[in-house]
Amino acid sequence: MMFATPLGLLALLAIPAIVAIHLFRRRFPHRPVAGLFLWQVLRQTPEGGGKIARLPITRSLILECVAALALALILAGARLSSTGTSQHLVVLLDDSASMAAVNGRGESPRDRAARRVLGEIDRLGARARVTLILSGDRPSVLSGPAALAVEARRALETWKPEAPHHSLALGIRLARELAGRTAQLMVMSDVKPESAGEDGALWVAVGEALPNVGIIAAQRTVSPDEGRGAVSLTLGNYSDASVRRQLTVSAAARNVLVRELDVPPGSSSLTLPLPNGLPVVRVALSDDPLARDNDVILAEPRSQVVSVENRLREGRGRQALVKAFAALSGVTQAESGHLVFADGTELDRGQPGVWRVGFGAVLPAWRANGESRDFIGPFVVEKRHPLLLDVTLGGVVSTSISIARTSFARPTGRS
Amino acid sequence: MPRTPIHGRIGERLGSGTGSSLEFQDYRPYTPGDDLRHVDWAAYARSDVLAVRLYREEVAPRVDLILDISRSMAVTAQKLRAFGELSGLLACACASTVAESRIITTSAAQPGPLRVPEDIERYLVCEASLSALEETHLPLRRRSLRVVVSDFLFPHDPDVLISRLARDGASLAIVQLVLREEAEPSAGGGFRLMDVEGRGELDLVLDDAAIQDYRARFSRLRLGLATASRRVGARFAQVIAGTPVRDVARGLASAGVLEPA
Repeated sequence: MMFATPLGLLALLAIPAIVAIHLFRRRFPHRPVAGLFLWQVLRQTPEGGGKIARLPITRSLILECVAALALALILAGARLSSTGTSQHLVVLLDDSASMAAVNGRGESPRDRAARRVLGEIDRLGARARVTLILSGDRPSVLSGPAALAVEARRALETWKPEAPHHSLALGIRLARELAGRTAQLMVMSDVKPESAGEDGALWVAVGEALPNVGIIAAQRTVSPDEGRGAVSLTLGNYSDASVRRQLTVSAAARNVLVRELDVPPGSSSLTLPLPNGLPVVRVALSDDPLARDNDVILAEPRSQVVSVENRLREGRGRQALVKAFAALSGVTQAESGHLVFADGTELDRGQPGVWRVGFGAVLPAWRANGESRDFIGPFVVEKRHPLLLDVTLGGVVSTSISIARTSFARPTGRS
Repeated sequence: MPRTPIHGRIGERLGSGTGSSLEFQDYRPYTPGDDLRHVDWAAYARSDVLAVRLYREEVAPRVDLILDISRSMAVTAQKLRAFGELSGLLACACASTVAESRIITTSAAQPGPLRVPEDIERYLVCEASLSALEETHLPLRRRSLRVVVSDFLFPHDPDVLISRLARDGASLAIVQLVLREEAEPSAGGGFRLMDVEGRGELDLVLDDAAIQDYRARFSRLRLGLATASRRVGARFAQVIAGTPVRDVARGLASAGVLEPA
């Protein structure tokens, strides 16, 4: 018998307490009488007493002890660990795209992993409980927790590993939480475990060394002045020898460029010229075991110009802003811009649809009730806001901040 | 059964009224319309006064034997056995009398006839949770001889109870059957007293003070029954369980409940 919360067994202390109560309780021998009313006017003897007598095993005592025992077992979360109890299998599946690499026999690590998991489910029987977890950017549960075996089988059939990045460590952490102390933990991956592997987990490496060449990075650039563009590629060769591949650049179902490449082991880069006027191009390598990293689609890059209007009064603030604009590319100062920097008291002026950034005290009408406050951080910025992309506020100290009403201004951060 | 004058329908037993039996009862002055055959001519010759001879009536008495078959009558085997012996004794007396006898144990059922003494055996199972005497509407017959057997160990008002039993009856005999330890308990330590009829339980140390209080209350109960019986002209007798039947019969005879044949 196992206990989920052994501290619940403290409730067993109620049993000796019950026995003691029964032991010290004064008990008189029973005597049936015909006219109890003739005795009832007399002085009654209190029921309590301190005399120890032989403990009578009464139904009351037995029922009270059984109730206390049952309560203790419930609190302790007692479970029988007999063979009739269903076993729990927690499997972490490597969801990276490399699991889909197909060898010469048309078999992928995903197929081998699925076959191994199905065999394990068959071994545990139909009563087994199975939890399937996918590694990925964030681990997710494919089946379960503790799903029936038949449900796990169906879920396993739908598994298609295609994550570009994944973290087995995060997946193992989630798997351990779901497995608890009793479940069996398996890790199915195409790589071997580091050092001695995971303690208490069965790591099954189903990978196979295959000569894969893939596009690691790609960038399309346009030079308007020169009237032509280029495609910069970073290729990765994961084998030990140089591999020959055919590179094809196509646009609108027409090949623009075809080139034979000798890709050395490791990473290598190359730049391909590209004529202007092509809206979308597809860069593809010839087939190899892993098809997912063999092609990439690149759209025509377009420069984004943001016009900025500087309405700040002359002073250090305005000069600092001008310096900042000069350091940025793609920023044009204009009389009527997409983005307006102005004093806080002038934020109510301007055309609708224009982003406005105010410095200094906010308009009295916009100010919420309460005194101005100082904030020394930390600040939580709204990452989804386009103006705060890649912005951090570490070390910022804000003094005499007036809180604006949310009906007039939307906060982009919180302290 | 008592041979004193009683009332009832025309029958074979002498009644208390005037009737047409052969047993002389009294004289009374002649009034017009009297049967001339009943005029005592010899007395007229001696006294020159017309007088009519009166004769006792003959009636058929009816006996209602009321038995308390509550669990208190079987609180011990000895008491149950004594109850059987006493009921059997009274059944024999009823059967030996030319009377229409019935046995009443509850108001919920029709009284059973008592033709032979063995008829009483069907009623000697004391398992009722309530005494018949605690019921308000017993099926008693008018002008019947009534004999009540109970321990009377239930809360009651003796005057009210005895008056109700004696109402419209020809006579009433009360027989209280109790155990010796019920009449005269002795000190014996602590007990959990449990009422056999489910009226509760009580933890009590039966010391001398408790016994004295109980005896005083029991004596008042017995005295109340006797006084109430005497007040309505009923006979009262107390029988201690375990007393030989012969002695019980003598006691009942001395109390007027039974009369020797």
